[in-house]
Amino acid sequence: MTVSTVVERGRFGGKGATRRGKASIPTAEAESSFVRRGLSLLGVGLYAGFFLLPIAFLISLTFKTRDEVLLGQFFTSKPTLENWWKAFEFINLTGFIGHSVLIASLSAVLTLALATPATYAVTRLQHGELVGSLVLSSYIAPPVVALLPLFFLMRWLGLLNSFAGMILVYGLMNVPVAYWLLRGFIAKIPAALDEAAWVDGAGFFKTFLVISLPLLVPGIVATGLISLILAYNEFLFASLFAQDDSVRGLTVAISLFQGDRFVNFGQMAVASIAGIVPVYLIALFFQNHLIGGLMSGSVK
Amino acid sequence: MSDRNPKRAVSGLNRRTLLAASATMAGAGMLQLSPLLRSGAFAGQELNLTIIQPHAVAGEVLKKLFQEQSGVALNFTVIPYDQVHAQATLDVQSGANHFDVHDYWYASIGALVDDKVVFDVTDWIERDKEKIRPDDFIPSIYDAYTLVNGRRWGLPYDGDSHVLFYNTEILHRHGLEAPTTWDAYYQAVKTITEKEKGNGIYGAALLGFKVPVIIVSSYANRLAGFGGRFLKDGRPDLLSEESIAAAEELVRVAPYALPTPSETAFDQALPAFLSGKIAFLEFWTDLGVRSQDPQNSKIVDKWDVTQLPVGGKNKTPVAALDAGFGWAISAGSKKKELAWEFVRWASSSEAGVKLLTTYNSGIDPTRSSTLNAPEYKSFAPKVQRAAAAAFGSALVWPTVPQAPKLLDTLTEQLSLILAGQSKPKAGLEAAQRAWERALV
Amino acid sequence: MELHLARPRGSGGDGSRVRAAWLMLLPVLLGLLVFAVYPSIYVVGLSFTKSTLGQPFKAWIGWSNYRWLLFGGDEIFVPSLLRAALFSFGVALVELWLGLWLALLLTSLQRAGRLVRSIMLLPLMTPPVLVGIAWKLLLAPGGGLVNGKLLSLGLVDTPVSFLGTQPWALLSVMVADAWQWTPFVAILGYAALRQVPDDIIEAALLDGANERAVFWKIQLPMTAPLLLAIFVLRLIMAFKTFDLLYILTFGGPGSSTDMAGFTIWRTALRNFDVGAAAAETVLFAGFVSVAILPFLWLHRRVERNAS
Repeated sequence: MTVSTVVERGRFGGKGATRRGKASIPTAEAESSFVRRGLSLLGVGLYAGFFLLPIAFLISLTFKTRDEVLLGQFFTSKPTLENWWKAFEFINLTGFIGHSVLIASLSAVLTLALATPATYAVTRLQHGELVGSLVLSSYIAPPVVALLPLFFLMRWLGLLNSFAGMILVYGLMNVPVAYWLLRGFIAKIPAALDEAAWVDGAGFFKTFLVISLPLLVPGIVATGLISLILAYNEFLFASLFAQDDSVRGLTVAISLFQGDRFVNFGQMAVASIAGIVPVYLIALFFQNHLIGGLMSGSVK
Repeated sequence: MSDRNPKRAVSGLNRRTLLAASATMAGAGMLQLSPLLRSGAFAGQELNLTIIQPHAVAGEVLKKLFQEQSGVALNFTVIPYDQVHAQATLDVQSGANHFDVHDYWYASIGALVDDKVVFDVTDWIERDKEKIRPDDFIPSIYDAYTLVNGRRWGLPYDGDSHVLFYNTEILHRHGLEAPTTWDAYYQAVKTITEKEKGNGIYGAALLGFKVPVIIVSSYANRLAGFGGRFLKDGRPDLLSEESIAAAEELVRVAPYALPTPSETAFDQALPAFLSGKIAFLEFWTDLGVRSQDPQNSKIVDKWDVTQLPVGGKNKTPVAALDAGFGWAISAGSKKKELAWEFVRWASSSEAGVKLLTTYNSGIDPTRSSTLNAPEYKSFAPKVQRAAAAAFGSALVWPTVPQAPKLLDTLTEQLSLILAGQSKPKAGLEAAQRAWERALV
Repeated sequence: MELHLARPRGSGGDGSRVRAAWLMLLPVLLGLLVFAVYPSIYVVGLSFTKSTLGQPFKAWIGWSNYRWLLFGGDEIFVPSLLRAALFSFGVALVELWLGLWLALLLTSLQRAGRLVRSIMLLPLMTPPVLVGIAWKLLLAPGGGLVNGKLLSLGLVDTPVSFLGTQPWALLSVMVADAWQWTPFVAILGYAALRQVPDDIIEAALLDGANERAVFWKIQLPMTAPLLLAIFVLRLIMAFKTFDLLYILTFGGPGSSTDMAGFTIWRTALRNFDVGAAAAETVLFAGFVSVAILPFLWLHRRVERNAS
């Protein structure tokens, strides 16, 4: 099996999910597969409904006036657009969302830049297990108390209330998650490929860049998206390290809506829906790489 | 700018500047600035302050006025009300010293002093006594909010207390009067709920969400009514007759309250009251202003307010000082003199009246002069009446350094009591034990 | 193929390859050293002291914090740890099962699957505070959507208090968590399933195997390492759950939803007793490590077999 065949297969898979688990189905089973398909659709429909209900509810909230919020109905009798422009007026919502998007995406890039070579190295090294356990153990404890030394550290580094600081913190924070996810994807790439390259005299790092990385693209995209989402939705660190309006993000901004006694749910919902949009678009953009091409590396 | 000798700056003034400045001040109306500020000596400088979300509107007002009159820019960082303590502490602790002034919850003053987060202003108060008029502050508020170990550490500016709001229409329907005792309150709530539950109308909302400022307020309102106290000579007093009666009162009315007390916070109770679904609600006085706003309220002119009921042997209404905020100077501030100028100005009678009569400012009176100010009376007559009557005596929450921990353990036990997982006496015994251990 | 034990072969290249590997590892190790090892040492040190947020390392008290938490009558932390275990295993298993099922459904559908895939990530993308708010409003007794429907359908005569009574409170939090995180499992599970080579599955089907056999004998074993990794990650995340509790119940009613991650936050940033919070953190880390150990061992075994 040569490298080119592997890549070819990967590219073929990358064209979109045109192949399914079962290609040639004997005609005798055609009818039961029709029923099965119907049931599958029903199952998916139920899932979709379950997942969409709260989101749809949030969207309907954005059109409700304050007194309609707790009426036990889904639709409102007098829809209003007032929440939409009021939410943007109340606080600098576009600014805060922008900050969050910037911090989250750059931190995801940092996470990938750090974790991908590291995970690759660990899976190829003899004492990789130990490092793997160390990485995971850094993820286990709740970071609340660690906030104290980290606060000192950030201040000492001059990174409080700065984009660089948040990117650094989130970038490192998500490395354990990225490590564990990438490990599963890297495991699918046969060592034989690397070894072939090494025998040919290629360096370790070069092999990684030229051979393994292209095969890892789907895994990287999946991991990157997850890291981005985790950083985007983080609250605790943001509330302590990024309170300044110049770096404040969406999660902290939403907590401001929440912190008032007379909570305005409609505006909060607007902030949340508006906040989801950029991330959703990013995910949509990368979708094909995420799903379609994930079959690469499935080589025997 | 030297922190130590402000007089040096003033002496550099000339007559023309003073005249110009006083002209500005006269035009500005009621807000009185110190000569130092008026002189423009601090113009162009900035102060960094924390301010809680409920006070955001007040912050806007203060910012604009202060900028106009003294040329000083106020940079408010709005944060949720439960985060000021942590932010202030970390700010000083880490040496960041970004903030100059803090909007602090009075119950945390002991802890803030103990952790050396705020600055001792006793001498400055003494020096500026005539302008500040400390005797104008409502006595229970002044000491509770600022006095620790015989020294003073800030000035009050938001004197919160709970009063009992009620829906006149619902009460009228059942031929009920505003209750003066907790027992009458219970009977009224029970009657209304039993008769109108089917229509989704309940006698009261009992705020029991597991956060100190919510559930302990509900308990404190009753404790005050019964004449009890949190601490007696520095020792926990949770097993007194009054305390147990207060807890039992909570449990007694819970089944008839808006479902369910354990999950009821502001976000459910307020819409319920403002849309006429509950008859009684214990809340801060600014609810009165909101209830009269047709945009937010369906019960305009259909509500009234009275002091919290009494109970047991106690016959005189007592105000429960639930929440309540003051301004304090951060210990690490490099602009303490300017910060003091602000603190004095913002807690003055004139600033107070301005804020009290601004819609949605979230501010309540701290001084006798503001409490009885004619502007306040005409702006919110019903509320002013109830508030003015209440401040004779007041129940103060603990302000010792261990106060956060005390309130947290009390919250834990009250929540267990309210959820039926613990009997009132047993729960209070557990709280008492925890308090004794903490205060050792 | 023993991947993680693969050693670079070939003459003269050994040393430089190992060096290169360590170099690639270095940034992460450095980062962990500064941002993980240093705080960990600090926290462990802090756990042996009496400290407040404003005065860390106020006084050395040895094992006193630990004794109080484990034996001395604290009565809050240990139950919260056990509750967290119950919650975490519960939601992790449910999410694994539901997520895997959804992933399988998606592999057998094409166009509908694409649509579902795009909206599937929405719960995960919703800011956690809003997940809490949405569920709080949905479940509210006095006007929430769920109660509204239940009442109008005549299934109950009085509103059910989902968040204000046990055991509904804990269950509601679990449902909200499952809603938010099942897509996490599903999307990664889908990716894992698509990695299983089609020709193997086709061959098996042609040989007469039914779908069930295909799943249990081929798909599951081949995706087991990644699925286990996802499970372990979800388990750890669930132990640390905070946002949902902050909005939905704050640990109430009573103490029925008070879980370790939340308790530690309360001790540190509400009581400001960071010494006790540090001790709680150490105990938490120990407990969770022990809890995931069997799964890590299983993961290693399965990883070896899957290749």
